[in-house]
Amino acid sequence: MRAAHFCNACGKVQPAMPVDYFTFFGLPRKLNVDLNGLEKEFYALSRRLHPDGFFSASEVERLWSLEQSSQLNDAYRTLKDPIRRTEYLLRLEGVELEEQSKQATEAARASGNLKKQVVPPALLEEVFELNMQLEELRANRKMGEKDDALEAELSGQKKLLEEKFDALFSELKGLWSEWDQAVESETEPARLPIRDKLLDLVNRRNYIRNLVRDVNEALEIG
Amino acid sequence: MAYSDKVLDHYSNPRNVGSMDKASTDVGTGLVGAPECGDVMKLQIKVNPLTNVIEDAKFKTFGCGSAIASSSLATEWVKGKTIDEALQIKNTEIVKELALPPVKIHCSVLAEDAIRAAIGDWKKKQGVGVTAEMAAK
Repeated sequence: MRAAHFCNACGKVQPAMPVDYFTFFGLPRKLNVDLNGLEKEFYALSRRLHPDGFFSASEVERLWSLEQSSQLNDAYRTLKDPIRRTEYLLRLEGVELEEQSKQATEAARASGNLKKQVVPPALLEEVFELNMQLEELRANRKMGEKDDALEAELSGQKKLLEEKFDALFSELKGLWSEWDQAVESETEPARLPIRDKLLDLVNRRNYIRNLVRDVNEALEIG
Repeated sequence: MAYSDKVLDHYSNPRNVGSMDKASTDVGTGLVGAPECGDVMKLQIKVNPLTNVIEDAKFKTFGCGSAIASSSLATEWVKGKTIDEALQIKNTEIVKELALPPVKIHCSVLAEDAIRAAIGDWKKKQGVGVTAEMAAK
């Protein structure tokens, strides 16, 4: 399915439809996207929908071209970026990225079971330890001391984190293919476990991204 | 957005910062994180094995002011409570006490998670199967 941007009969611009970004471009809800094709489509639509082309059109057409253009920009910006695209798909599939902890906690409270941690415990340990070292580094700096050994160790850790970060991207691409296959087979139960794996990966990635950022900040101050 | 006075108080003067011996049998440790913001929180409790009363609590949190205030408040609240009483603490009470805005609710969730995780760890050390005990209730 594809959202109608123009009238089939008369070619006039149509009002923006409340459709998801995949539908906007007439794409299936898959994660491997032909980026060249998407870009071409974006520029073609962009030219035809641009409000500048409608300065002499009726008021309602001007408004519709404006709305369609803004939807086009949002859709393109979201789908061309691999992470935004993945997070957007997760939202479409019913995951509330900002609410996952709260929902899991409420479920645990209701059932009396221990909550399943959204973030793997081993990663939390690592994050915690590294933060302790960063704190030490900042405290040293404040006192005007320089601890070369600590800085060298943190630089080394940062390198490992960056490698992990890159590895996550390959892992993500593997999951994309799994997801796309499940979409083709059209069975919802097959998609759910892959959706959860995607979510887990996005969560881990966010943690590592924040950590690398914090290490960079701490190392660059001095 | 401004922090409430209570958040600022806990943030600038956090209670019970520190750590306890993770290996000790009467210490329970909860290490939790929120993927929403990348915060990480460690909360530890020391429990009297005869009375099940939490005699001491320590925390260390890397995160925003609200996360630090939530965990600081959590350690204050669990101290002197029994294990069962501490399990009754809900994140909504923390939200209310600290007047946390909606975008910071996950900080209070993290604090509740930390309490439950610490208690779960302690129970495990006592050889009490958490789920078995819950099922018997």
